[in-house]
Amino acid sequence: MSEAILEATETIDTNDESPEQQHKWVYLFEEGNGDNKSLFGGKGAGLCEMTRAGLPVPPGLIVTTEACNAFYDNNKQFPEGMWEQVVEALAEIEKKVGKRFGDSKNPLLVSVRSGAAFSMPGMMDTVLNLGLNEETVQGLAEQTGDLRFALDAYRRFASLFGEIVIGVAHEKFERVLDRFKAQTKGGRDTDLKPAELRGIIAAEKEIIMAEQHAIPDDPYEQLRVAIAAVFNSWMGRRACDYRRINRIPDNLGTAVNVQAMVFGNMGANSGTGVAFTRNPSTGKKELYGEYLLKAQGEDVVAGTRTPNPISQLKKELPKVYEQFAGIAQLLEQHYHDMQDCEFTIERGKLWMLQTRTGKRTGAAAVRIAVDMANEKLIDRKTAVQRVTPEHLDQLLHPTVDPNTDAQVLATGLPASPGAAQGAGRFQSRRSRRNGQRRSQGRPGTPGNQSRRFPWHGCGSGHRDRTWRNDKSRRGGRSRHGKDLREWRLGHRR
Amino acid sequence: MSGASAIDVDYSQQQFSVDGEVVTKGDWITVDGSTGRVFLGKVPTIQPSLGSDFHELMKWADKVRRLGVRANADTPLDAKTARGFGAEGIGLCRTEHMFFGDQRLAAMREMILADGVGAREKALEKLLPLQRGDFIGIFREMAGFPVTIRLLDPPLHEFLPNVDELLSELAELKMGLKQAKTMVEMDHLLDQIDEKRNLLDHVNKIREANPMLGFRGCRLGLLYPEVTRMQCRAIFEAAIQVKNERKQVTLEIMVPLVSVNEELKQQADLINDVAREVMGEHGMKIDYMIGTMIELPRAALTAHKIAQHASFFSFGTNDLTQTTFGLSRDDSGRFLPSYVDRKILADDPFQVLDSEGVGELVRIGAERGRSVKPDLKIGICGEHGGDPRSIAFCNEIGLNYVSCSPYRVPVARLAAAQAALEADAAEAKNKQATKQAA
Repeated sequence: MSEAILEATETIDTNDESPEQQHKWVYLFEEGNGDNKSLFGGKGAGLCEMTRAGLPVPPGLIVTTEACNAFYDNNKQFPEGMWEQVVEALAEIEKKVGKRFGDSKNPLLVSVRSGAAFSMPGMMDTVLNLGLNEETVQGLAEQTGDLRFALDAYRRFASLFGEIVIGVAHEKFERVLDRFKAQTKGGRDTDLKPAELRGIIAAEKEIIMAEQHAIPDDPYEQLRVAIAAVFNSWMGRRACDYRRINRIPDNLGTAVNVQAMVFGNMGANSGTGVAFTRNPSTGKKELYGEYLLKAQGEDVVAGTRTPNPISQLKKELPKVYEQFAGIAQLLEQHYHDMQDCEFTIERGKLWMLQTRTGKRTGAAAVRIAVDMANEKLIDRKTAVQRVTPEHLDQLLHPTVDPNTDAQVLATGLPASPGAAQGAGRFQSRRSRRNGQRRSQGRPGTPGNQSRRFPWHGCGSGHRDRTWRNDKSRRGGRSRHGKDLREWRLGHRR
Repeated sequence: MSGASAIDVDYSQQQFSVDGEVVTKGDWITVDGSTGRVFLGKVPTIQPSLGSDFHELMKWADKVRRLGVRANADTPLDAKTARGFGAEGIGLCRTEHMFFGDQRLAAMREMILADGVGAREKALEKLLPLQRGDFIGIFREMAGFPVTIRLLDPPLHEFLPNVDELLSELAELKMGLKQAKTMVEMDHLLDQIDEKRNLLDHVNKIREANPMLGFRGCRLGLLYPEVTRMQCRAIFEAAIQVKNERKQVTLEIMVPLVSVNEELKQQADLINDVAREVMGEHGMKIDYMIGTMIELPRAALTAHKIAQHASFFSFGTNDLTQTTFGLSRDDSGRFLPSYVDRKILADDPFQVLDSEGVGELVRIGAERGRSVKPDLKIGICGEHGGDPRSIAFCNEIGLNYVSCSPYRVPVARLAAAQAALEADAAEAKNKQATKQAA
């Protein structure tokens, strides 16, 4: 048995390319092919496509899904040559941006994001401002002439790295932030002064220390750990559950996107936002989204400040709005489908950070398919293929009013369309069945006919599953909170 | 939905809690299966509404699909709903569901408990007008569209009370006897006890170790031909009445659980006899077809013989899945989910048709059936009829239609269109590949 395994490993080794012609694990955005989502992931493919189309995209690199699979084949070690290629590609990015990673005078900062071919919850989310340490934060302050900004970027990085890479509960960082904010006059995060920001950073580092971890000082080490964390999150419990329910194979792997940072919090004419090219809940043809000025990406979803509807950007920064509206239209024409875009405005300059096919409700899917066919953007056959059976199901079942302000008790994985309500009962499956029989009385009760005969019965344990107390399935509380925030963004109004 | 791991369930206290929020037995919650959220209380829901965009899209889908889409419908209301969703007929009308109303169940029990043919026929006479009335309603709703009526299928004990209930009722009556104050009351209780005992004896007599594989389907109709005769009379009388209303009736009578062609032949003879009889009485002609459910592997394998007596086949893929896997669906809950988790099976075969095994039997049955009757009409009527991947399989092997629950009809129409488009795209790709190779 063990011999067979050894043999198998050897065969794999000999199959690898020779060292001179090393496998390409890392691509710059301009090298990638926007059609190859399976290699570059959905996010990466979109960034490649936008870069090639000449749209304003901050330069970056993609570690491919192949590298992720090789990581798992290789006992959770980076495949040979991958890290060297990351460093090499990063040097290209340094050249383009004119900053250096880890430089104490003029530091390059990057974001690290996961990107599978299909977007899925439970995957590692974004780490921003990676590359900061006690030295480079000084460099950033000098570079921008704004100490407060630099420290704010650092405290965000520390909490994101702690939460997302190391896995510390989000609340712990939130509590620190709240404590310091409460001491300021205004009580908002923009009211935090450098001294307080330094206090926050120190407290955040302490929290991480308390969990027997630390943020590496070396930016390259930060990057290495962050990429490994993205790979590891692919096999996280929640991501695996999601894939099982949605029949996404486990062997697709995730790509990692490393991109030069642009800052939406660099003053009054900076900001960040998300927008759909059509309304994702009704399907109406309109730019639909939200933005915040003086904010970094996470602020829009974090719910700390209320974002403005995208239409207001037309008044605040008309030129940027026009440019963005133009790009949105271009993207829709290019992809022949509704797009979900992320953007950042840095000192009046628009940067596109993501475009992907937008998720939509059943009603929106039908309307968009029919509208786009009528606009001749797609043909009728394509329109028929654009609406999924799940979309139709949503139209055919009663659903929860998306505007509801009812209290959300918990969030699980969605598995079937429509809503159900009822009074709580707590019984094991066997006793519940008997009880049901008694309360239903004889056959003759109207309802699902197939239940009446035991051999037609649906006999599934799904209902139990909802109520099952299974500790091993729990996600962290922070993850749960995050999902709620994400949901709210997608379905507001 | 699953994985709402923030919920802490405490069975002993009959409650669950989320972050200190406690929900106890009887409190209302709302579960949103589309987003996975659990709400406290009765949250207002939006009733489905289908606008003009929906109908437009469905029109486009209907243009490209090759599979017909029918509905499983047992009542006039089901039939109406199904038509509203665009069903092109009924693929499965289960007659036994008409016997479950209170008044009907009593007559049905009388029929089952009857000693001898005479008593049974007497009980059946009471059922005849009820059943005829149901068929009239369904034919009216489905005027111009085919209606496949399946003759009585389930084992008879389904219509009788269960043994445990009877035993506990008997015990209660006996307790009551002790407290009886008058002789009249006592006599009354004794009568009731006798009646229950009698019923219990009968139930025990027809009790089966494995009812799913027991005395059911055409086996009932062959041994109790008077049941088949009553059902067919109701069907033909209803058809005549609706035809007299100048509405078109397209009738298909389906014999369930056939495994041997002789079973179908004898049932068909009986159906034809009743048809002649009723048509003669009314001096009218009704067109009808006789077909069968293919829901046993033997039937699929001998489809060329069975097809000699059938004008159509309907694959009952729920039972065919059970009998092919040798697996009772009702007992599968304990292991089937683990099978899927451990990837022993890719899917629950009761949700997605197992194309490799069960599907192969469907393919064989269709091929062998059509080898003797090229125009044999073939469909499926299991729950798979509403599952998109199963529908794609039906499209691939060239079935004529799928039949699903009324609310699944739009999904089936869309899925059938998508299956056709995908098949076309695959074919075009193949052609191009062969061209390039040449």
